[in-house]
Amino acid sequence: MDAPLYPPSQAYEQPSVVPHRMDTTTTSIAALLADPAAKAIIIAEIPTFMARIGNEQLKPHLYNFSPRSLVQFGVFKTDALDRVDQQLGRLPPTTTFAK
Amino acid sequence: MKDLHVSIEPGRREVMIAAGAALLPLPFASGAEAATLSEAPLGLGRDQAFDLDWRFFRGAADGLEAPGTDDSGWRRVDLPHDWSVEDVPGGQPPRQIGPFDKSAVGGTATGYTQGGEGWYRKHFRLKALPADARVEIAFDGISVTSDVWLNGHLLGTHVHGYTPFAWDLTPHLVRDGDNVLAVRARNIGRNSRWYAGSGIYRHVTLNIFPSPARIARWGVGAWTRRILDRHAEIDITTRIDNADPALTLVTRLRSVQGKIVAEASTPAGSAVSQSLHLDAPQLWSPDNPYLYALETELRRGTLVIDRLIQPWGVRIVTMDAANGLRINGTAIKLRGGCIHHDNGLLGAVAFADADSRRVLTLKARGYNAIRSSHNPASATLRAACDRHGMLLIDEAFDAWHAPKLKDDYSKYFREDWHAALEALVLSARNSPSLIMWSIGNEIPERSTTEGMAWCWQLANEVRRLDPTRPATAALNGVLGDPIIVSEKAARPGFGGKEDEASAAFLDVAGYNYRLEDIEADHRKRPERIIYASETFSHDAYDYHALAERAPYMLGEFVWTAMDYIGEAGIGATKRIPNKGMPFYLAQWPWVNAWCGDMDLIGHQKPPSFARDVIWGLSPLEMMVQRPVPEGQVEFVAQWGWSDELPSWTWPDASGRTLAVRLYCSGDRVELRLNGKLVGTKALTAADKMRAELPVPYAPGLLEAIAYRGGKEIGRKRLETVSAPARLRVVPEKPRGGSDRHSLSYIGIDLLDAQGRIIPEGEVKVRLMVHGPAELVAFGSANPLAVGSIQSAEARTFRGRALAILRSTGARGSVRIEARAEGLQSAAATVRLA
Repeated sequence: MDAPLYPPSQAYEQPSVVPHRMDTTTTSIAALLADPAAKAIIIAEIPTFMARIGNEQLKPHLYNFSPRSLVQFGVFKTDALDRVDQQLGRLPPTTTFAK
Repeated sequence: MKDLHVSIEPGRREVMIAAGAALLPLPFASGAEAATLSEAPLGLGRDQAFDLDWRFFRGAADGLEAPGTDDSGWRRVDLPHDWSVEDVPGGQPPRQIGPFDKSAVGGTATGYTQGGEGWYRKHFRLKALPADARVEIAFDGISVTSDVWLNGHLLGTHVHGYTPFAWDLTPHLVRDGDNVLAVRARNIGRNSRWYAGSGIYRHVTLNIFPSPARIARWGVGAWTRRILDRHAEIDITTRIDNADPALTLVTRLRSVQGKIVAEASTPAGSAVSQSLHLDAPQLWSPDNPYLYALETELRRGTLVIDRLIQPWGVRIVTMDAANGLRINGTAIKLRGGCIHHDNGLLGAVAFADADSRRVLTLKARGYNAIRSSHNPASATLRAACDRHGMLLIDEAFDAWHAPKLKDDYSKYFREDWHAALEALVLSARNSPSLIMWSIGNEIPERSTTEGMAWCWQLANEVRRLDPTRPATAALNGVLGDPIIVSEKAARPGFGGKEDEASAAFLDVAGYNYRLEDIEADHRKRPERIIYASETFSHDAYDYHALAERAPYMLGEFVWTAMDYIGEAGIGATKRIPNKGMPFYLAQWPWVNAWCGDMDLIGHQKPPSFARDVIWGLSPLEMMVQRPVPEGQVEFVAQWGWSDELPSWTWPDASGRTLAVRLYCSGDRVELRLNGKLVGTKALTAADKMRAELPVPYAPGLLEAIAYRGGKEIGRKRLETVSAPARLRVVPEKPRGGSDRHSLSYIGIDLLDAQGRIIPEGEVKVRLMVHGPAELVAFGSANPLAVGSIQSAEARTFRGRALAILRSTGARGSVRIEARAEGLQSAAATVRLA
C-alpha cells in the first residue's frame, strides 16, 4: 500500500464560468441581487426580502447562501421561492462571476 | 542532569535514557506534555517548562514592558491562564454574574465574557551558557493578539490567537543577571464568534541551544510512504539551521519499550532527506493508537548538540470517492464532532489532563474524530488525539479577506495568512491523528473571483507545506458558480473539468448543513469526496444512514460534540405562547451554546443518548419530554433538541399525559408503568430508531423494553425519586499527578435517600479542599449565568456539579468535602503522586 500525495498545482489562473441559469437553489443571494432582472423578480415576489437578509450574522454570508438554503433556518418559504424560480428560468443564462 | 522526556508511556523514558548513545550532558526533550515543571535555574535544553511564577496585571496600560516596572504587587499566576473566566472585577448582580457581564462587547458570541487587555511579566536567570548559545521562547498560543518584550526590547507581535510562535531572546539577554519578559495580551472588540478566552492560555517553553546549529523549529517532517508485506518505508525531511559539514543527523524510531527499531545517519546540510525501513511495524489507528518515538539527533562528532523527540505513528490514510476513507487499508467512517477550544469551566486554558479527558469522554461515546473548529488545536489536544486514537481535522481560519465581525482576524489576514498556515501545518504535521487540513470555515465571499484566488493560494500552500494530507474547507450554503479550472491551476486530474467555485481547489469538500445536497451533488460530480463538516444533532440518523450507503461520503461532524462557552443559546429550547411567532432568540443570561451532545462538564445530554442507539452503543434509551403548560408550545432552536430528560420525576404533572421518547435499534418497544403495560410500538426503518408514546403520569417505575425478532435486546428504567437528602463526592480518578499541570476532576452529585440523582436538583454546594491542590473551577452544566465558576460555592444543575483541582506541586492526599444546607454532606480523597 502506497500513501497518496497531494502535490501543489503549477500556478493560479482564473477559472472560466460555465454559462448557467440562475435559480434560488444554487445561486447565491449576492449574485441574484447583483443582477437587476433577477433582483426585480425576487423583490416583486418577496417584498420583505431585503429585511429578511438584513441581520448582522447573515450579511457576511450573502455570497454563500442561496435563498433556498435559508429555508431550513426559517428565513424563506418554499412556495414563494418556487414562484421566483419559474420567472428566473426565463432569464438568459449568465456567464459572469458574481463579483 | 534532568531526565529525557517524551510524552508517551511512563517508564519508557528511563529505558530510552539507558538505550541512548553518547549523550551530551544536556537535556533535550519535546512535546507539549514533555516539559518538566522545575523552576530550577535554566540551563541548556529544549522544551523547558516556562509556565510557573508569572506576574499578572489585568488592565490596559503603556510602558509596562520597562525592566524597572514594579510588578511586586501584581498577582502571581502559573500558566496556562485565561482571565476571561475569572469573576468580573467588582461585578454587581444582576448585570454581572461571576465572569459574565451583560454589557460585554462580545454579547452572546463570547458568552457575555469580558476580554480587554492584560500584562504578564516573568523574571528569570540563566546558568552560565556557552558564548554562542541561543535562547528562544515558544508560545503555543496567546489570545487574541500579543506583544512580547525582553528586558524592554520588543521581540515581536503575534496576531493569530491559536497558532504557536517563538521569539529569539538571544540578542537582548542578560546572561549573568536578571532578565524580565513582558507579554501584553489583548482581546479587544468584537473579534470572535465564540468564546476565545484571554491571555497566555497555552503552554510556554524555553529552548536553549548550545550553538547556533540546531534542528530548525518544526523542521522535521515524517510520513509513511509505503506499507507492504509487514514492512514500512518512512520518509523524513529535516531542516537544520546554521548547518556545517562537521554535523551529522541521526534519525531513529524507538518502540514503546525504548528499543531502536529503525535508524538512519546522514551528513547534515540545511535540508536532509532520509528514509527509515521498519520491519513488522505496529500501525497507528483509532483502535490501536501505537506511538513510536521519532528521535532526531544533531551531532558534532560524538557530541549531541540538539535532540528532538516526537510521538509518531505509522499509518497510511487514503480517501477517494470509490472507497471512502481508509486507514491502513481498513475502511472507516468518520463519527465526528466539532468542538470549540475551551475546556468548559476552565475556560480556554489548555491542560493536557483536560484535553485528554475531553477526548476520552468523546471516545467513550463512539466518536472517532474531532474537527477543531474553527482554529488550530492546541498541542495538548493534538497529543491527546494521537495518544487515544482520535482522528483530527485541524482548521486554520474562520475568515479570510472578508470579515464576519468588524474586529476579527480578517484585519490581519492579507499580511499574516502565510505565517499562520506555516505554523499550523509545520507544527502539527507529525501527528498521526491529523487527517486533513482545513483552510477555512464558512468563509465569506469564498466564491467570488478574489475568494477563489485565495482558496487556490491557501490550498496550494498547504499542499506545498505538507503534500501528504488533503486540503479541505467547511462549506455552508451553496458552492458558487459552475467553473472550469485550467490544467495549470487544477488539482491533478481535474483540469478542464466542470466544478464549482467553492470546491474546485479542495481535495475533500466539507459540507455544513447540506444533508439534502450530498447525494444530488454526487450525481453531478461523482469524483468529489464529501464529508459533513457540520450537522444538526437531529439529523444524526440520516447522516449515519447516508454514510453507510455512500462510499464517497466519509461521515459527519455534529455541531457540537460538547457544549462550549459562547454562541449562547444556539441550542436553546423555550416554551412560548402557541399563538405567537414561533421564534425565540436566546440572550442574557444564556452564556453557553447548549447545542452539544455532551454538556459543559462532560455528561450526556439527550441527543447523545439518541446517538448511542444510532451508533450501536446502546439498543435502547428513554427520555421524557418536560410537560408543556397549557397554551404554550415548545420552541427548539435549530441546533437544539427537545427539552427531554431521562427522568420520571415530574411532581407537577400528576394526571397529565407525558411524551415518552424511546430511541431503539430493535423492531418493537413496549412501556410498562409500575408493572402495567401502557404502550407498545412496532418500529420500521421509517421511524429512524425513534418512537414516542403518550403515558399518563403517575409516580413510580417506568420501564421500557426493546425487542428484535421477538427477543429482548434492551431494557431501561426510570424511577420517581424522592426529596434531596445528601451529596456525593465522586473523584473521576482515585489518583492524580502531583505536578503543577495535573488536574483532578471531582463530581458532586445530589442524591435522594435511596442514592438516586435528583434529575432537576439545584442546590447551593460549598466545597472545602484540604491538601496539596487548589480549586480552579467549580460549576455546573447550566447554560445560564448563575454564578462564579471559580469560587468554592456553586449550584448543582440537573443534580450535578463539577469541581476541578490543580495540584500545587506537592505529593499527598487531597480531601474534598461538599456541604449543602439541610443535606447530608459528603467527602472523598484523591491521592496525588
